[in-house]
Parts: sequence; C-alpha cells; structure tokens
Amino acid sequence: MTKIVRLGHRLRYPITVVKLLKKPGDKIKKQESLMEYSFKWMKEVGDSIRGDTWQQEQTTIVTWDSPSDGELTHWLIREGQHIVGDRGAMEVKEECSHEIQFQGLCGMCGKDMTEVSWAAETRDTARAPINMVHDQTNLTVSAVQAQRTEEDLQRRLLQSRKLSLVVDLDQTIIQACIDPTVGEWQKDPTNPNHESVKHVKSFQLDDGPTDLARRCSYYIKMRPGLEDFLKRISDMYELHVYTMGTRAYAQNVARVVDPDKKLFGNRVISRDENGNIFAKNLQRLFPVSTHMVVIIDDRSDVWPRNRPNLIKVSPYEFFKGIGDINSSFLPKRQDLLTSGATTNGVKKGTKKEAAAKNNQDADAIGTDDPTVTKRQVEEQERAFEKQIKDRPLQVLQEKLDREDEEAEKATVQSDDGSESRSSSPPSQRHHVLQDDDEELKYLEQHLTSLHTAYYAEYDNTHHLTTNPPTSVPDAGRLLTQLKSRVLRGTKLVLSGVLPRGIDIHRSEIGLQIASFGAELRAKVSRDVTHLVVNAAQPGREKLLEARRRPHIKIVGQEWLAACFSRWAAVDETPYLFTARLVEEGEMGVGGVEVDEEGEEETGNESGKKLLNGKGGGGGGPKLKLVSPLGQTHTLQLEPGEDEDGEESDDDDGDDDDAGNNGEIEEGLLPDDLPDGQASPIDGLKTFNWGSADEELAEFLASGSDDDDEDEEDEEGEGDEDEDGGGGDRGKDRDGGYTPEPEEGGSSSSDEDMRRGRRGRRSRTASPAVSASAGRKRKGRGDDTEGDEVAEEEEGENGTPAKRLRRTESQRGSSLRNQYAAAGEGGDDGAAGSGLPTPGRSDGQDAEMEGALNGGGKQEDDEEEEMDFDVAELEAEFEAEFEMEVDKARAGVEGQGVEGQQAHGEELVGGETEKG
Amino acid sequence: MFFLHNLERRVTLHPSYFGRNMHELVTTKLVKDVEGTCAGDYYIIAIMDTFDVSEGRILPGSGLAEFTVGYRAVVWRPFKGEVIDAITQTVNPHGFFAQAGPLRLFVSSHLMPDEIQYDASATPAQFTNNADIVIEQGTHVRVKIIGLRTEVGEMWAIGSINGDFLGYVTPNHICGLPTGIGSRKKAVAC
Repeated sequence: MTKIVRLGHRLRYPITVVKLLKKPGDKIKKQESLMEYSFKWMKEVGDSIRGDTWQQEQTTIVTWDSPSDGELTHWLIREGQHIVGDRGAMEVKEECSHEIQFQGLCGMCGKDMTEVSWAAETRDTARAPINMVHDQTNLTVSAVQAQRTEEDLQRRLLQSRKLSLVVDLDQTIIQACIDPTVGEWQKDPTNPNHESVKHVKSFQLDDGPTDLARRCSYYIKMRPGLEDFLKRISDMYELHVYTMGTRAYAQNVARVVDPDKKLFGNRVISRDENGNIFAKNLQRLFPVSTHMVVIIDDRSDVWPRNRPNLIKVSPYEFFKGIGDINSSFLPKRQDLLTSGATTNGVKKGTKKEAAAKNNQDADAIGTDDPTVTKRQVEEQERAFEKQIKDRPLQVLQEKLDREDEEAEKATVQSDDGSESRSSSPPSQRHHVLQDDDEELKYLEQHLTSLHTAYYAEYDNTHHLTTNPPTSVPDAGRLLTQLKSRVLRGTKLVLSGVLPRGIDIHRSEIGLQIASFGAELRAKVSRDVTHLVVNAAQPGREKLLEARRRPHIKIVGQEWLAACFSRWAAVDETPYLFTARLVEEGEMGVGGVEVDEEGEEETGNESGKKLLNGKGGGGGGPKLKLVSPLGQTHTLQLEPGEDEDGEESDDDDGDDDDAGNNGEIEEGLLPDDLPDGQASPIDGLKTFNWGSADEELAEFLASGSDDDDEDEEDEEGEGDEDEDGGGGDRGKDRDGGYTPEPEEGGSSSSDEDMRRGRRGRRSRTASPAVSASAGRKRKGRGDDTEGDEVAEEEEGENGTPAKRLRRTESQRGSSLRNQYAAAGEGGDDGAAGSGLPTPGRSDGQDAEMEGALNGGGKQEDDEEEEMDFDVAELEAEFEAEFEMEVDKARAGVEGQGVEGQQAHGEELVGGETEKG
Repeated sequence: MFFLHNLERRVTLHPSYFGRNMHELVTTKLVKDVEGTCAGDYYIIAIMDTFDVSEGRILPGSGLAEFTVGYRAVVWRPFKGEVIDAITQTVNPHGFFAQAGPLRLFVSSHLMPDEIQYDASATPAQFTNNADIVIEQGTHVRVKIIGLRTEVGEMWAIGSINGDFLGYVTPNHICGLPTGIGSRKKAVAC
C-alpha cells in the first residue's frame, strides 16, 4: 500500500531542496515537516513614500509538510536538487488506504476523513468518490475497491452463468395507481372490473412523500405472467430493481412482486439513492464495467449513457390513463409509439412538452437542486391529489357504461328480435381494465436469446480457468448486434409520428429505429421500403409520394411498435394502410352533418381522413385519402359502389341527416381493391401532387382567414329556409344549385364547416380575395356548364334524378371540388374532372379562394369596386342582387332561388362588414 | 457508555399556557424536546427528573416565558473502543450496516475475520464463514467501535468485528453470555 506523494503545485517553483528532515523508514504524520527547500523571489525595497524603490531578489527557506500519514519508504528527491515543477517527492507506505468511507469516516481504520489541513491538497474524502451500493448514499468506495468488487461480481456471475438485469418497476413490470376506485371494485364482485382487479395488490406507504400519499393505498398490478417470467429469468440473470419511486415505494413493490426476496434480494435502488433526479445511470451500480448488464425499462430517455444495454419494453398500461405515478420525476415522455388514441393526446402536447423539456434540461444542470426536487414533489403531490379526487378509472368506466347503455338501447330500438338477446345476459358491461398484455412473453425470448448469445461468445473466447474477468464479452454490444438484425435493410420514412422541427435521427423513435438496424429517411425516395404513418395525423406529402411507388408499404406506427416489441420484422399485413383517394363530395346529398365533419377534419388535418371501413384484404385499417378529385373521375373510379352508396345516402338524406354518419363508414367510401387489381386512379400516380398540396395549403389558409362570409352564409341559410316554401329542403337546394353546382354546394358545406369554427377565426378578410373572386367568376364561363355536366351524367346513368342529385352534391359539398373545377376554367366538367393541373399560377389560386369565399355567382366588376369603396355601393349592390335573383329564378325553372338569394345577401352582408 | 448527567436547558412557554400547572408544562415540554436527541457527542436517552425550574422570564417582544430548567438525564455516549451490541440492517459487498439504538454503525469487510466472506448468492445476501456464522439482515452482532463522527444531531460510527468475542451473537445472548467467535460452541449449548 505504498503511494507516491507529490510535492503539490502550491509550492513556489522553481525550488531547491535544502535539507531532507526524515530518513526512509521513519514514521511520518500529517503536517509534519519533512524537508526544507528554498526559493527565490523579488521584493520591493526602498522608500515607498518617496517613490525611491527597487526590486531585490530574496531567497527564502521554508519547510514542506507531509500531506499524508504513514511510513516513509524512500525519497524521490535529494538534497540540493533544483525542482521546476510539481513532481513526486517520496514514497509512503500508508497504514490505511481509506478505500471505504462511511459518512466521512474511514471504514477501514475509523479515522475522520473530513478533517482538512493545509498540508494536503486534496481531501481524504475524495479518495473514495464512488457510490455503488444500492441502498446507501453515504457509503463510498475508491476506484480500486469498486473494481475489485465488480470483478468479484463478474466472476461470480460467470460461474453461475448469469448476467445482471436491471429492472424498472413502473410500467415495465408493474403498474401502480392510487385511484381509490380500484379498491372499491375489488370489494364489489358485481363490478365488471372485479375480475380484472382481483389480483391487484395494494399497500400503504407509512412514509409517503406527502400527507396525501400517506393516506392513500397504492394499487399494484403486475404485468400478466410476471411471476413466471421473473422466476425463469432469474435463472439466467441476477435481478436488480432500479426505480424512480421513493425507497419505501420501491421496497413495497419489491415485496409485492417478490415476497420471499428471492429474486431481488436487497438489490433495490430508488430515487432516494440515485443521486440524479432526471436520469438513471448504470454507472451508479456498476461503476467500472457494464459488460454484463442488461436493462429493461419502458423509457429509453432516462438512460442517456446506457442505451446499448437497454431493452426498451412497451409501457404497461393496465389502469388506463394513469401512466407512471412517479413520472413527475422524469422528463416528459416523447417516445410513445402506441395506438392512435393515446398518441393523439400526446402529440397535442408535444410542443409544450418540448418547451418543458428545455426547461428541464436547464434544471438538469443542478441535478440535486433542492428547489427542483421540491417542485417535483409538489408536482407529484398534485398529480396524486388529482387522481384521488378525479378518479379517472371510475370516470372511464362510467363513460363505457353509458356507451353500453346507449348501444343497448339502440339495439332494442332497431329490431325487436335483438331485444331479447341484448337483455338476456344481465348487464354484460364492458370493463375499462383489460389485461391483455403480452410483452413479457417477447421480453423473455429476447432475454433468453441474449443470454444464450452471450455465453456462446464467452465460451468461444474464454475458458473458465484462464479468464481474466476484465475481458468478458460486452452484453451491450451483443444486444446491439441482435437488435440491428431485426429490421436490417428496411428503409423507413415517418409520417405524422414526430412533431415538425425535431431532428428525426436524434429523436427517441429515430434512435430506436436505428438501433433495430433500419434506416430512417427524411423523405420518400425510390429505395424506401416502408412509410410509417400516424393514423391520427398522417403527413400528406409523404403519403402521396408513397402512393406513387407501389412497393412502399404504408404501415401504421403500431407495426413499428410490434417490431420493436417482438424483435422481428413483423408481417405488415394487419398494419397495412391503403392510401386511397376518396371523393369527398359523395358524402351526402342531405348529409349536412357529415359534410361538416368531413370538411372540418380535412381542413384541420391537411386533407386526409381515416375511416375504419369494412374489411379489405387484411381486415386492417384503411386510409382514405380525401383529395381534390373531380366527380367524373370518381365515377369511373368505382361505379358500382358509388351507386350503392348513393342510394343509401339518398334514402337518408331526405329525412334523417344524422344517419349518414354511419352510412359513410360502411357504404359510401369505396372498398380496398383486391391485390393485384389495377386501381382506377393509377393514372394519378404521375400527377404532381406536390404542387397540388401547396395550392391546397394556400387555399385552406385563406379559407380560415375570412369569416365575414360565414355569418352571412348563415343568414343566407335562414333566408333560404323561409323562402323555401313547400317541399323537401334537400331537393330544393339541389335544384337551386343546378346552374352553379360547385358554388352552391360548396357554400352550403362550407358554411356548415365554418359554423363550427367560427369562434376562433380572425376577422381579417382581405379585399384582394374578393377581388380575385370576381375575376375568377368572370373567367370561369357561364352557368350552363354545370347543367351540361349534369345532363351528361344523366345520360350515363340509369336513374337520372338520383344521379343528378348526387352529382351536384358531390361537386358541391367539397371545397376542393370547386377549386378543381374552377381551375379547369371553361373546360367542360366531365372531361376535365376535378384534377388540378400542376403548375397553376398563383392568380388562379387566388381565384379559387375568392370563389369559395364568395359563394354565389356575383357581378364581378361591382365586386372589385366594392373592395375600394364598399360602404357607398352597398345599396346599389342590394339592388343588383334582387335583379340577379329574379333573373336566376326565371332562368332556372324557378328553382334554387332561395340559394342564390341567400348567397347574394350573404355577399352583400360580407361587404358591409368589411366596410 | 451510559451516564447520569446533569444538564440545563432553557424552555420557553407560550403565554396561553401560563397558569397554575406551568411547571408541569415546562417539564413536559422539556421531555418532549430533549429525550431521544443527539446532543453533540452523546444521546439523551431519558430524563430522570427535573430540579430547579427557574422563575419564568417574559421575553420582550414575543411574550413567551423562558424558564431555565436543570435536569438529570440518562445519556449514552459511545466511545471509541467500546463494545456494543447491534442489529444488522443491510448487507452489501463492502460490509454491513448495523444499528445500535440510535447509532448507525458500519462494519466493513476489512474489519472482519478473514474467514468471513461476503456471499451475494444467498438470499438475502450475507457475510458468512460457510459454517456457523451467518450475518444477514436482522442478525445480532457484537461490535467494537473504532471510529466515531458527530454532526449536529447525528452520529455515525465504524465498527469492527475482528477480535475475540466480537461478531455474531446467537439469539441466546439474552442469557447474558458473551458469545463471540471464540466461544461459539459454549454459546450454542446455552
């Protein structure tokens, strides 16, 4: 235990050793003088008051005092030596190396390590800086001791052919909640959830973080199959618990999971001992080598330094909506890759979360900052309070019950036959809590294969007798190898999965994709194999791009999650989306609500819509792509289905608008094509969608800008109703729009859509818009165009009336329809259909917008004037409108007056407001 | 080592307690405040009696009354070199922690007889000589204090079980026989 003692850098070098005061073999004590040395320095001498001073060199002799105790074995310096810098001075045999320290006491000699003296440059406490004990923070060891301990551990593990497995608790092997509802359900055998919560264990913490937590019970649900899993895994792995919960919590959970302490023993580390409140660190437990350590955790972002050793499991969510009760101590999670509902919720908050993360990053600098900790404790307290008060589970169940009741009622009402059926099973209620998690099965496979691979490699390279334990195989490297085979050769593009403005390659999901060997691309290109879409909000451009290349499989992000979970390139079929263009206009003649819904959704979510249609090839979800398609095209697309859909629509349209909601999902949208059959819209693949997208985006943006028309729309609607006189309203409208199918229809649907959004619109209608509207109308040709279209179709189809109606509504109800048709200029609607041509000029775009805003056919010139002097011309306009209306009434068989009038007035009103 | 120690303390009393049984209240408060605390390098275990409760003095400003109370208490001061009995709390590869009343002790693996080794594969982990000595959580041990450190209100100690009659104590230690490593067989017989 000899160590070399250095002179230290505090000496005034260069120095000359004058005399060695101790001989080798002497006992030395701290602060004892060991040698004398001299140094030279300059001193100002003379009369400082008169300013008569000069520098004079001085030589001073001082002693050097021992920084450490022990026995001097020999000097490394000799008398008279000139020393220019810090160097070793002597070798000292120490009595104690102070390698284990407990609260400032040396665990080996009992000396107080906190004493500080001038002689020593470093404190003795710094000699044992590593904290590697699970349940203590005040026991520290030196690097040497740590290495020794770890070598012992590795040797032992190798002998028993095990590895270390660090297990996270919350949402990895268990889920905890404090919702008292669980307790009530446990006591109530009639509750539908009783079966599920029967095996939920509970405990009360005697030293919970707050008063509140002290009073409540913690309910612990083990992941299905956990006991067997742990039992089998513990043959291959030595298990450690590493949780961000408190110590008491961790111990209680460990007691629940492992009552005999056979699995975890006392290898439990919690937030209290972690030393860092934001991240977990393997080095805390295995400071020297993590070669034999594997982690299972549901979050990879808390292991910033140990990613290679981590097997990320999908979070266990048994108590729906509760999440991780200790998550307030961790950064907000950003890596959810689960089904639409949750993802949706998460994505909404991503921006905020990103900001929050920044804050936390800032916080993370001072990891043990008491204020941060306090804030987190408060946060957790709030979350607890909320959970106890709000009882989210109960709320969920009640909601489910309500839905059940309604469903029951519906069945009872629909037909008498089902009545007996539905009532016969006495209140077979659905239950919120479902225990259908299979993760552990896969996890066990992974862990087993990793263990096998590890010891296969170990046996190849080592023989037990000769192994130096420092050169064991690295489990992290093996894990990386195993994982990287999974999706090798796959080139992925993500769509709608990550928020914009995030570096995809450094995001959680990006890192994970990379770790599984897949290549993540930012853009769809020729060699991309999969497009992973978030069903709730797919990215439009990438989707369209992917559609053009049939070899690109469009899969839901659940596919990715399944691959990650199973470590296999899962068959895509159940996750396959079919991007399909759907003519939105077909959604209903009278289906106002439907239109509204559709429009709103498309407006908000960049023109796409997902509906769970009836089963295609794999029975999976289908992506219905609502796009600016012309009506004629759609007819060609799927004539038979259109017909069906139309009929049902018609039936409902007259009396029951609400009925359409269901209709759409079943019948209105065309089904998937069987594999191999050429799609009628294949021709569109060559179409430049990018430019169309831009146009659409522009159009949507402008649409949300002007609200004036909206209110007028409503007024117009009212008028229409009043004037409608006798007869079916839907029919009236149809008729009314005949001359101007696009505009009439669009305004009605627009209106519905906007009605919903009115509140949040900003009132910033630009004059240019209405001006361009006028221009557009002028250029677009005359009223008869629409008629022609209608007639043409009548000829094609057997049921002229029906067909006509549908045609009109199809064209009319879609904003994009109108946009497309207008873009065609004077073309006949049949031939051109609604396909927007690439390379359209901006002016035309503006026209579109204008057309939408305007609604009815209007006088162009006047309108332009109005933009400049609106108020004055208001009255004049009104007159003009009257005339218009009359003309229209005469021209169009007396139908549709109401509609036009409505639009006219609407426009005037709009202008008034602008004025 | 235990001592009877005469101590003095100032106790303040809120005005709402002023009355006939003030002295009683002062004593109660003293007991509550003082018993079981660590005062520097000794623990105050129990207050035997109070004597000499001084006249109360109203503190200007707050209105509290301050009494100076002399009392006699049983105190425990652990000394370096003292041998005490303790109960093992946790075991880790570097040693084990034991609790002797209010005092937390650490016994490192360096301060154990050579034959006692750490065994991590046992559940729970233990120090054992693979014969009759097993030190695991809950085991009674006899420890010699070799180092002490105090901070305000806290004390820690380093213990050693390397020596005769130190270490594992069978549950029979209740009969009062010293049962160190050297006299294992006798102890078992008892």
